[in-house]
Amino acid sequence: MDNFSALLDGFSTVLHPTYLLWALFGVFIGTAVGVLPGIGPAMTIALLLPLTYSLEPTAAIIVFAGIYYGGMYGGSTTSILLNTPGESASIVTAIEGNKMARAGRGAAALATAAIGSFVAGTLATVALTFLAPVIARWAVQLGEPDYFALMVVAFITVGALLGSSVPRGLAALSLGLFLGLVGTDTLTGQQRFTFGVPNLADGIDVVIVAVGLFAVGEALYVGSRMRHGPIKVIPIEKGWRSWMKPDDWRRSWKPWLRGAAIGFPVGTIPAGGADVATFLSYASERRLAGKERRKQFGKGAIEGVAGPEAANNAASAGVLVPLLTLGLPTTATAAIIIVAFQSYGIQPGPLLLQNESTLVWALIASLYIGNVMLVVLNLPLVGMWVRVLRIPRHYLYAGIILFGALGSYALNFSPVDVLLLVLIGLAGFFMRRYGYPVAPLVVGMILGPMAEDRLRRSLAISQGDLSYLVSSPFAASAYVAIVVLLALGIWLKRRERAQA
Amino acid sequence: MTPDGAAPEAPIAPGAPTDEAGPPPSDALEPRAAQKPRRRWGELVLALATTALGTYVLVAAGSITVPGSTNTLGPRAFPYLVGGMLVVAGVVLVVLVLSGRGGEEEGGEDVDPNVRTDWLTVVLIVAILVVHVFAINVIGWPFAAAILFAGAAVVLGARPWWRAAVAGLVLGLIIQVIFGGLLGLSLPAGPLLEGVPFLRG
Repeated sequence: MDNFSALLDGFSTVLHPTYLLWALFGVFIGTAVGVLPGIGPAMTIALLLPLTYSLEPTAAIIVFAGIYYGGMYGGSTTSILLNTPGESASIVTAIEGNKMARAGRGAAALATAAIGSFVAGTLATVALTFLAPVIARWAVQLGEPDYFALMVVAFITVGALLGSSVPRGLAALSLGLFLGLVGTDTLTGQQRFTFGVPNLADGIDVVIVAVGLFAVGEALYVGSRMRHGPIKVIPIEKGWRSWMKPDDWRRSWKPWLRGAAIGFPVGTIPAGGADVATFLSYASERRLAGKERRKQFGKGAIEGVAGPEAANNAASAGVLVPLLTLGLPTTATAAIIIVAFQSYGIQPGPLLLQNESTLVWALIASLYIGNVMLVVLNLPLVGMWVRVLRIPRHYLYAGIILFGALGSYALNFSPVDVLLLVLIGLAGFFMRRYGYPVAPLVVGMILGPMAEDRLRRSLAISQGDLSYLVSSPFAASAYVAIVVLLALGIWLKRRERAQA
Repeated sequence: MTPDGAAPEAPIAPGAPTDEAGPPPSDALEPRAAQKPRRRWGELVLALATTALGTYVLVAAGSITVPGSTNTLGPRAFPYLVGGMLVVAGVVLVVLVLSGRGGEEEGGEDVDPNVRTDWLTVVLIVAILVVHVFAINVIGWPFAAAILFAGAAVVLGARPWWRAAVAGLVLGLIIQVIFGGLLGLSLPAGPLLEGVPFLRG
């Protein structure tokens, strides 16, 4: 089992005290920022990217792994304890968890979410450990048209399926593709859409766009329609005895395992990531609950927290499979992680496990350790997270804007970048205000140049014969999968709407 | 900052009509009321801008130089595709908006769906960001950061203003010490702090 020994090597890297401290720092910061309302995991990573500019790659990747999982744990605390719905991945938790908290069972809801996240996160990381090398070995054989097909799948699922409006998703995706075009064409060296500005010849930095849209745009939007008045955090009962009663354990363990089983596969395929996984888990828990229990759904059923939270975390690990083995981001968060890798000159893809095996196994090992740290940190420190939830909103959003400005300034230490950030932030504000999703834009901008490259290389090989694009069985089945996924997506959306 | 236990005071942004603060957030999980018709103009402009950008991309793609060595798909093909997608999406959106089917905004924890957009806040924050950009190289990063943080906080409702100013200054200096001094990001300390060794980026 060379995987196993590679993993052990990874652990021996991560268990170095310095790296353990970085991992702890990552999960801590990730949870703290994830708890902050209005900040989803994608924004957390985009905002914290500048923190790692001066770190060496292994330390930075370990911090990112911590932030990634920490952000997921933190999000559930927010949606359970705050009186308003949170980010989309944990919105199902908000329904049941929030109701539980209001009924005085907040601690149990938090505990089942945290322990479920731990169980499912660990199971999914085990699956990642064994699946990633297999897929990477297989992916080496994929040709240019196969990669192009995969990217089209990602475009369609992230762009069209996720949002509530297909044309708005398409507009955002195309806008991202356009921003990706700006700069010098890699294959011919021609400048495109640079307007003669020398700064644009290298292209627009994705970090500026991501921070502009997720941080500045969001802060402007929230600022324009700020919820005034006191922040209502539901109080939770003190003491570990109130966390979970034997009955809660009995009702939670099956949903945890089912959530892991649903979340991981959904995360690995480009089908919308954690949102779809949480929804599927919620729907199946509701279906499987007996007659008596089903009545509790919508009023605070613990199964409705345990399952979706587990699925959410398992999906987050699943997302790493295509990310690490194919270089394919299937969610906005994954797209930002690709940017983080690229800022260290590392290109995720089938060769990553060979070329950067120490780094990848350190990353995977740090996921295991991060999960343990999170479950240990989360419950005892819940009082602190509650305090974080109460940060006055004017300071919170001013801080988000400041960190966004710092991050884009730190890219090149040029004020022009910050000005660009402001412009993109304004664009993000208008998109947000009129219901345009921003995730497809970021994914389009990152994947667009890669897809164009693959497409043109394919057609150079085939001398312009378009049928080459569907000639391999893999590419052909990917296009068939698009049709299936589209149908499935429409069906899921109908169901979601019917239940809402 | 705020003493523990006590709920933070209700911040009122300048220019925000207080009587429109809406009902308490207890009903925030209920589906939102139908969107107001007055939002359609801005949305129409955005849809038209998408179409216009697409048209521009289509036109400008024609002027990208194609070197003779390119045998099949040159540097123009993808721009044509992207321009076409923008135009299609834009036109569909214009039609949708004109027929009264506007976009659904996503909610958020701190977003009050019942408040009208406060444009003054947006304009002021953007103005403060622009001031920040031009101040970095003149007065140094920590002070430019203080202006940005304090300015944005006051615009968003922080009172009294001097507390926000002190918080901004402290935050700016802390970030300067951590990122400039310890982590080695070259943030300019500014003329005032030029000689302080642990602040130099």
